[in-house]
Amino acid sequence: MKTTPLVKEVVINAPAQKVWEAITTKEGMKMWSFDISEFRPEVGFEFRFEAKKDDMVYRHICVISEVIPNKKLSYSWRYDGYAGNTLVTFELFPEGDKTKLKLTHEGLETFPQETTDFARENFDMGWTYILGTAIKEFAEKS
Amino acid sequence: MNYRIDDIFSALADSNRRNILTMLSKGSKNVNSIAGEFKISRPAVSKHLRILEHSKLVVQNKEGRERYFSLNPKPIKEVFNWFKFYDKFWDDKLHLLKNYIESKK
Repeated sequence: MKTTPLVKEVVINAPAQKVWEAITTKEGMKMWSFDISEFRPEVGFEFRFEAKKDDMVYRHICVISEVIPNKKLSYSWRYDGYAGNTLVTFELFPEGDKTKLKLTHEGLETFPQETTDFARENFDMGWTYILGTAIKEFAEKS
Repeated sequence: MNYRIDDIFSALADSNRRNILTMLSKGSKNVNSIAGEFKISRPAVSKHLRILEHSKLVVQNKEGRERYFSLNPKPIKEVFNWFKFYDKFWDDKLHLLKNYIESKK
């Protein structure tokens, strides 16, 4: 199981303040991530959104845990009704006229390992057995 | 090889196919021995096997004139791989973010 955090970096040709606006306002977030009803960069602020993929709906719950304006934003990221909690952090580093954005997503190993299927109704014994034990054991042995 | 998560879940959504997978998790089998353990007809078993093969959850091997079906562990590992899922997810999102900010100027 992988326990190292996921890290991504991207250099954006804009000052840190513009990047900060894009990741901390409702209008900005809508343009690149999710359409949420309200967003305030304040510790303890909770926001929720649903991500649909085909007939699956993923309900996300996020709570802001750290805010340093124009520098750092962290929030928890989990799925409604399921085990596991992760932490998403955005860090901004000015590089001349540009900004390096570093994204870290920690704790992915805490998400359910037996199934990633959120919307289907087939959480019966057969399903749980298949994904939870029989095939998983087989996959791990191979 | 790429596995389509949707194909995997569609394949898993049927109880007959889950039973076939459970059976194959104990070892590879030919169509007749799979069909022998089910109430459904042999053509119906073949149809389920085709769907399982399409999802790549099951692979078939020819031994002489017999075709044997066995489980393929790789797509299952794929389903469990949150790291890989978010690796792609954040690549896409950060690409959109960069384009959005840079196009605003």
